[in-house]
Amino acid sequence: MQTLDVISVNLWQILISLINLVLLFLIIKKFLYKPVRKVLQQRQNEIDTIYKEANDAKETAISDKNYWDEKLKNAENEADTIISDATSKANIRKNAILSEAKQTAEGIIRQAENDAELERKKAEAEIKTEIVDLSTALAEKILEREIKMDDHKELIDSFVENLGDK
Amino acid sequence: MQQKNSIRFRIVDFLLILMMIIPVTVLIVVKLLTNVPAEGISVTGAKIYFEISMPFQNLLITESQINSWMVMISITGLCLYLTHGIGVKVKNRRQHLAEWIVEKTDNLVKGNMGEYFMAFSPFIGAILGLSAFSSLICLFGLYSPTSDINVVGGWAILTFILITYYKSKCGPWVYIKSFGDPVTLLAPLNIISEVATPISMAFRHYGNVLSGSVISVLLAAGLQGLSSMVLGWLPGVLGDIPFLQIGIPAVLSIYFDVFSGCLQAFIFAMLTMLYVSGAFPMEEYFKRKKKKQTKAMSN
Repeated sequence: MQTLDVISVNLWQILISLINLVLLFLIIKKFLYKPVRKVLQQRQNEIDTIYKEANDAKETAISDKNYWDEKLKNAENEADTIISDATSKANIRKNAILSEAKQTAEGIIRQAENDAELERKKAEAEIKTEIVDLSTALAEKILEREIKMDDHKELIDSFVENLGDK
Repeated sequence: MQQKNSIRFRIVDFLLILMMIIPVTVLIVVKLLTNVPAEGISVTGAKIYFEISMPFQNLLITESQINSWMVMISITGLCLYLTHGIGVKVKNRRQHLAEWIVEKTDNLVKGNMGEYFMAFSPFIGAILGLSAFSSLICLFGLYSPTSDINVVGGWAILTFILITYYKSKCGPWVYIKSFGDPVTLLAPLNIISEVATPISMAFRHYGNVLSGSVISVLLAAGLQGLSSMVLGWLPGVLGDIPFLQIGIPAVLSIYFDVFSGCLQAFIFAMLTMLYVSGAFPMEEYFKRKKKKQTKAMSN
């Protein structure tokens, strides 16, 4: 079998080798770089989505936390206002009750005073009558004479009056 | 996507592995069948399988063409095997290797040429793969296509075409003017250096690989002679066995075939990247592009 010389230039062989390299470039591009790049791109996309989701979740969590913090603070304030409201209402009510009780007590006291006054007056009148009667009877017995009832009564009345005033 | 470990998947895998192995096996078998023991020391070019008559020069289909094609088929099989069953969540060794190759060449191109030339990544990968595997094929005792000037010359001419394309991207006038740089007096020298680029690239690669194989042949012959001289007194068959040929050529083969082959592939790829990116007047190009855009906008 014939062999080439160590150095021999053949245009067609050069062309074939040139085309070979271009062909292999296309083959490698299509069968190695394209699928690998696709996979790398997909992976990158997946990573990006996961990162985005994580960031979103974090943001949501932070906003939720702020919301609930705000809510908690509001609730505290609300509780405070409720308590203070209740306290002031209770105070008002207490004062009302107290004043009412005072009034009632005063009324009762006044009533009692009036009653006592009335009793006293009644008793006074009764005593007066009694005294008059008694003194009349006593005087009748002592004098044993006929006395004009009206004159005596007047006399004794003025006497008793003077007694009471003293 | 196919189910992992399904029978279909395994069969496709097996076929792809066959696609990688069979071309090399066929070449080895053909080589063994057609091998004629050389008389003494002979350094020859590729074997001519057949001849096709063409204008200018007859097309010779030689060992280097056949071997290149077989290497290309093997590389295609390798690519298909590496990307077979590739997926976002799948993590196995071959996907790691495929991603490693893509990322490494991407980084290499980005580092040496810049973002603008990212489309060159598969081309650089192709140069590296074809050159390295063509050189490494001689580990099987086959003729490596890179020790043929025509093969490497074709690649160098493709690089030259790319250089010229990128140099003249700002228009032919800028391209012609670039030869008068820095002074018009140097134009002839610039033209010579321009033409010398692909020639030097081709000869560097081809010369390194060929010299390696020539040294291997010389060394093997020398060791055979030395062996028969030193150990020829041994009785019978023992005296005929070239004991010194055991081991020593293997060590040198690691340098000349494996290291030199890979290194030359890397150098060729590096030079391609540097020449092409260096030839492209990027600032000038973008300046012109911007100018054109503003002109179009104003119109």
